[in-house]
Amino acid sequence: MKVSFNRRLLRIFAAELEKLATLPTIRFNLMAAFMLNLVLAAAFTSAGLQGAAGTQAILNTGLASMEYLQTGFIVLGVLSACSEYTGGQIRTTLTVMPWRGLLLSAKLLVLALVTVPAAFIIAGSGILYSFFMMKETAAGIEIGTVISSLTGATGYLTLTTLLSAAISIVLRRSTPAMVVLLSYYFIVSPLTMGILPGISHYFPDRAGYYMYTPFTFAEADALTALQGTGLSLSWTLMFISAAIGLYRRRDA
Amino acid sequence: MITINSLVKHRRKQEILSGISFKARPGRVTGFLGPNGAGKSSTLRILLGLDRATSGSALINGKPFAELDNPLTRVGAALDGAGAHRMRTGRAHLCWIARAAGLPRARVEEVLEITGLTNAAGKRVGSYSLGMGKRLGMAAALLGDPEILVLDEPVNGLDPEGIRWIRTFLRTRAESGNTVLLSSHLMGELAETVDDVVIIKQGQIVADGTLAEVIGKHPTLEEAYFALTTEYPGENV
Amino acid sequence: MRAFLAELSKLFSLPGIWLACGIGAFAPAVIAVLDSIAQKEDIIAGVSTRLPEAGYIGLAVGVQGVIILGVLAVSSEYSTESSESGGGQQIASSLTVVSSRLHFLLAKAGAVTVISMLQCIIAITAVVPATYLILGEYTPLFEWPKLIGAVCYWTFTALLAFGITVITKNGIVPLAVLIMNSSFVSISFLLSKVTKLALYLPDRAGIDMFMSLSESILSPFTGALVMFAWVGVLFSAAIVVILKRDVAS
Repeated sequence: MKVSFNRRLLRIFAAELEKLATLPTIRFNLMAAFMLNLVLAAAFTSAGLQGAAGTQAILNTGLASMEYLQTGFIVLGVLSACSEYTGGQIRTTLTVMPWRGLLLSAKLLVLALVTVPAAFIIAGSGILYSFFMMKETAAGIEIGTVISSLTGATGYLTLTTLLSAAISIVLRRSTPAMVVLLSYYFIVSPLTMGILPGISHYFPDRAGYYMYTPFTFAEADALTALQGTGLSLSWTLMFISAAIGLYRRRDA
Repeated sequence: MITINSLVKHRRKQEILSGISFKARPGRVTGFLGPNGAGKSSTLRILLGLDRATSGSALINGKPFAELDNPLTRVGAALDGAGAHRMRTGRAHLCWIARAAGLPRARVEEVLEITGLTNAAGKRVGSYSLGMGKRLGMAAALLGDPEILVLDEPVNGLDPEGIRWIRTFLRTRAESGNTVLLSSHLMGELAETVDDVVIIKQGQIVADGTLAEVIGKHPTLEEAYFALTTEYPGENV
Repeated sequence: MRAFLAELSKLFSLPGIWLACGIGAFAPAVIAVLDSIAQKEDIIAGVSTRLPEAGYIGLAVGVQGVIILGVLAVSSEYSTESSESGGGQQIASSLTVVSSRLHFLLAKAGAVTVISMLQCIIAITAVVPATYLILGEYTPLFEWPKLIGAVCYWTFTALLAFGITVITKNGIVPLAVLIMNSSFVSISFLLSKVTKLALYLPDRAGIDMFMSLSESILSPFTGALVMFAWVGVLFSAAIVVILKRDVAS
């Protein structure tokens, strides 16, 4: 009996989705990210309440926690990718689904499908919180700007998750993956921003920054949201293709 | 039918396998023996498409593993350990495998029953003992009711009851026309289960034939094994 | 003593530890240099508000090395991320070799302490000339009490990472929390804008040992005491946890 390509793809999707859903650490991580983000939103709101007003203030405070929130999504990417290498599960996975390129692409797609709603809810809750806390001071909020920022934030977090997953696939162990990713996002990137402001715009996280920061708020030499999205997407796709290339080739 | 054809594997500069060839035929249990580090696991990993061969081929019914249509229903494999994430329950582990192969959920309960894991199915894999992990690996291998079984050290860590169960189970599988390839160190156990024997030493096949042929003039399989794998084989052969 | 030496050799046989040592020795100097380059113009013009931080910032942000060290020392005992292992964890062997769990934990903590002190001393010997190289005559004075404070900060941070990892058994949470918090976008720093209580968080208090930031309210000595208290609390929790826990669970 020949299994059609579509059916095979559907089965890989179903299996990968079930894997994500039955891993308690993933659920725990998302819940922790949600709650910590609210705590941070509260902190930013109470720190930012003095004076500021309008859509800009609400968005700024609501999205100010993004820098911290991305950690939660980096961890999500690392956890979901490295879970294959715990207890030798990768052997089972590859003996059941030996089509490596297809498998990894499907796996990342499933991860994206799970991340998009999670990122939307988590980032949205932060904005919503600051909106409710600051609405007295806000004079007529522009719903369009809020929606485009929120979409950008969701996209950025999803791309970050996929990029982290791709790097974790290459490294296979969670500790080195965490060290590499966190040092990049929290040490290397801020440092280069001070030294090479011109180039650092094109780095994946800085480019992603423009996905959710409305153009009018950003500095003069900033990228537009579209440019940011394009750059961020290309970075992610580049890392994913590298990961798939390596994954297909190497010994499991 | 499993066909290994002049398989060579280099890892870094070391030669793990230097051109080995053997067959595992349908209707027979083939035992794959050798000291630690002789290349048994590497051979099985290449056969299952986990590692890449430097040259040569390992075919299942004439095809490489990755070209099988739905591998789980053709080949059941249990390598060392459970092959499952510690945080999942045994049932959840089998469920995603069943999904990947398009098998009904009822089949999961069946293999849990066969391997005697029904009571432990709701527990995390991390809390399983060595033998239970082994049973879970077996359950995954049996899920697709495959015609070919590839088992690495299947009795390692099993209790006497489990060992006897494996023995009769593998015999019945082979007698109904299936192919079984298993690696083991336990000579006494192997001598009672296998039809054919392949012995590997430092990446080379040193004996290949039926159980009787390999034992030859030696009193037991164990004697024959030591004669073939110790440093100065010339003395005994 | 034998357990302590065993722990040292265990640590040095992990490739990750060498990476951690490499990062610990060189990252602070690199950060100090990059930050000094960015600040140089302001400093020469005399308008920099961050002159007293120059150089020290490397020691504050560059603690990743010891964080990784503290985390790896514990998480390696619980690691199952290997395609070969069937879920075997080293902790079971470790606890059969050193039968007293308290001794095991203390020996390990001792090894972590010694390595992190050495790392910090190496880091300081790299940071000081590196900063002079960039800033020349404008370099702020590196005073002994402050440098000793930095060594304390590194050691305490390593022990915090160690203690948290004993409790979580997994390196991901402590790595995420500690690396993020020691970076340029520290959560404690954010919280300190909301409540002054955040200045008593371990990293804020610890930084007061060798950097005088505008908002800090602790003297170097009280900062050391506060951070040490945190280490003490977490370490006691780690001891309680490891004494009560079933090894395999």
